[in-house]
Amino acid sequence: MKKIDTYDGVAFRDMFSAAAGWLEKSVSDIDALNVFPVPDGDTGTNMLLTMRSAVEEAYRVSDTSVSAVAQAMSKGALMGARGNSGVILSQIWRGMAQGMSKKESFTGRDFADAFLQASKVAYKGISNPVEGTILTVIRESAQAGQSFAANNGNDLREVINAIVEAANKSLANTPNLLPVLKDAGVVDAGGQGLYTILEGALRYLRGEGEQMQFRKPQMVSSNVTVPARLQPMNMREEPFGYCTEFLLKGQKIDPDKLREKLKKHGESLIVVGDQTNVRVHIHTIDPGTVLHFVTPVGTMHQVSIRNMDEQHEDYLAMQKHRLPATNVSIIAIAPGDGIKDVFSSLGAYVITGGQTMNPSTKDILQGVEAAVSDNVIILPNNKNIILTAGQVQALTKKAIKVVPTKTIPQGVAALLAFDYESDLETNARVMEKARNAVRTVEITRAIRTTKMGTLRIKKNQAIGLLDTDLVAVGNTALSVLTQVMDKLDLNESEVLTVYYGQGIEKEEAEIIGNTIREKYANLQIEVVKGDQPHYEYIISIE
Amino acid sequence: MTVKIVTDSLGDLPADIVKKLDISIIPIHVLFGTESFRDGVDLTNEQFYAKLVNSKTTPTTAVPSLGSFIDVFEESAKNADEILTILVSHKLSGIFDTATKAAQMVKTKARIKVIDSINVIMGEGLLTIKAAEMAKAGNSLDKITQYIQSNIQRIESRMAFDTLEYLKKGGRIGAAQAFLGSLLKINPILGLKDGEVYPLSRERSRARSIEALYNWALTYRKIEAIAIEDATTPDEASQLADRLKKRYPDIPFYHAKVGAVIGAHVGPSVIAISILGDK
Repeated sequence: MKKIDTYDGVAFRDMFSAAAGWLEKSVSDIDALNVFPVPDGDTGTNMLLTMRSAVEEAYRVSDTSVSAVAQAMSKGALMGARGNSGVILSQIWRGMAQGMSKKESFTGRDFADAFLQASKVAYKGISNPVEGTILTVIRESAQAGQSFAANNGNDLREVINAIVEAANKSLANTPNLLPVLKDAGVVDAGGQGLYTILEGALRYLRGEGEQMQFRKPQMVSSNVTVPARLQPMNMREEPFGYCTEFLLKGQKIDPDKLREKLKKHGESLIVVGDQTNVRVHIHTIDPGTVLHFVTPVGTMHQVSIRNMDEQHEDYLAMQKHRLPATNVSIIAIAPGDGIKDVFSSLGAYVITGGQTMNPSTKDILQGVEAAVSDNVIILPNNKNIILTAGQVQALTKKAIKVVPTKTIPQGVAALLAFDYESDLETNARVMEKARNAVRTVEITRAIRTTKMGTLRIKKNQAIGLLDTDLVAVGNTALSVLTQVMDKLDLNESEVLTVYYGQGIEKEEAEIIGNTIREKYANLQIEVVKGDQPHYEYIISIE
Repeated sequence: MTVKIVTDSLGDLPADIVKKLDISIIPIHVLFGTESFRDGVDLTNEQFYAKLVNSKTTPTTAVPSLGSFIDVFEESAKNADEILTILVSHKLSGIFDTATKAAQMVKTKARIKVIDSINVIMGEGLLTIKAAEMAKAGNSLDKITQYIQSNIQRIESRMAFDTLEYLKKGGRIGAAQAFLGSLLKINPILGLKDGEVYPLSRERSRARSIEALYNWALTYRKIEAIAIEDATTPDEASQLADRLKKRYPDIPFYHAKVGAVIGAHVGPSVIAISILGDK
């Protein structure tokens, strides 16, 4: 049987002391991720200060049992906790201390158990836990630690490795749980902080202490782009108020009761601690009332009241800095969730609209005003919206260019041609050129029986439009598409994209894709869910 | 006065040039899980890309130790009065800090200077080649430093590649984030300037992305040197070079391979151009 190492309090302290040093290196990166709950100071800085305070306290105890050291770290973390994330981190230490209680030394399994307890205590401190945050990361990684310890053993390094791997995965997934992260294209900052701490502890255990001096922690990246969706910035209408924090010292304080009482005074409330020390964090419009309320309960220490509206301004400025160095935003008008996603994945702000659902000038104007840049290019993507888009310039101080894209493929081609280095004028020119270089085939159904030129069309038959001109009719989408493509010289073309519309199954669309692929071996074919109404298929040929 | 040129392996200098100009290379460490390699020493370029494609773990890289810099400085000092160290952009790696620290610690009579090239791949490499040529011609450390400092701004590199997969895995991508999440298959073009990687444009096919590199080279008013690099597609690189040579017949062309650090982020399909010149 493999010998299992046990670790004492000194080892526990040293591993998290190294972890705090590791966290320190990515503080500014973590601060830059901060989006939730909107303006709450700097997550990375707050977590570091909390960690430091915990580690300093650990160095003060002479007892080398893990129980005593974890207890000291718990106390230190509570005393030093700052900000939402710092307070949650202090709860994690509190749970760890409970888990290590009465233990002289610990093994991998003990750590997994203490970490699970940490997860539970972290949840308990928050009045309404939100998923997609540090809480999700600790819960999922604690579960992974449990199942690893249950199946594979007791080795501390292996257990923490399992926890770190699960934390990484959980963190990368946070944008899918929390829209505010997805919109900003980042992972949760508190979760990143926790991951970095755990990873730092693991590296230390692996004996990489020296190497850590010259390396930087890796930031986990989300797989969504910036900016994802049109995010109107009129969050400003609701004032954020003041982020109010303090440490309350007294005798026989009941944190649960206090939490209950403070609930109605604000949001993001956290009340954690024991009978003698309680840390309070609240976003409130009226900090005076909160302070007044707790004065009889105990003495206040480390009082901090910060104006979150100011913080929000800073945050917006920082977000702007995170975007590519360009001062041109793009607004695309598009129908269908799939097509909207394509546009936003390529960096455009999207306004819903298209055939039979033309947006108003006001709708477009709102999008223009919400865009971060002072220069905006509008892609109407429909010939009936071009004029409306043209009205916007008269109503805004921002500089506007309309690239008159008449179809979705023209819009996508124009957007893809966007050059991050160039200014508004040049980009409008480049995009106009790109728009003209693409051919659009649209397949839809005839709404009435008619005759156009030589074409006899029956109601509900499939009809094909080439660059918005009706050129083919047939009984199936495929037959119409074949007719249209026969009219084209595809020797110079390279990429063909099929966007399939509402009500079309993926398999059906794949058949169309494969049929084209067989016939035109030189083309790179992509089949994309467009979800657009009215058009069964929209096909772009570049 | 002899000046010895030292650089790191991120400059992608080809072996024949390193030998001819007597340049010392400090290799970066490449880590696949627990396996550690010195870039270009324990792991050839071919081996790296083969591992990158086949290994499940994403490679990470680590700055060489303080000790390895001290060793190189002490060794170089035996035959040189002055040592000029030209390194990758500090915005991309911690190498500059480590080297600076090592230069302060090392006990030698030789004067050691450490310069941040604010570039990477052959952008850094072109500067190092120029420095080594000047050193061979007998120029002083100060003169070479002055040349390098005033030419850093005249260097720019661009890269085209096929997949965002490696960029996503790699994590540290900064503004290149703009490319991620694209629902259409795109061939991104990244630029390297002022020490940072930034997004430039998105092409819809490989042929067009290479065309974009070619067209970019044609926007220069004056070119002094061009380096073309690939990872696993030398034929494409030489075709591109041949086309450019027709337009710029009288300037030096260098062929190199994109090394492990950048390679780990852009993958085996990368084609890169670095240009020293004026627009």
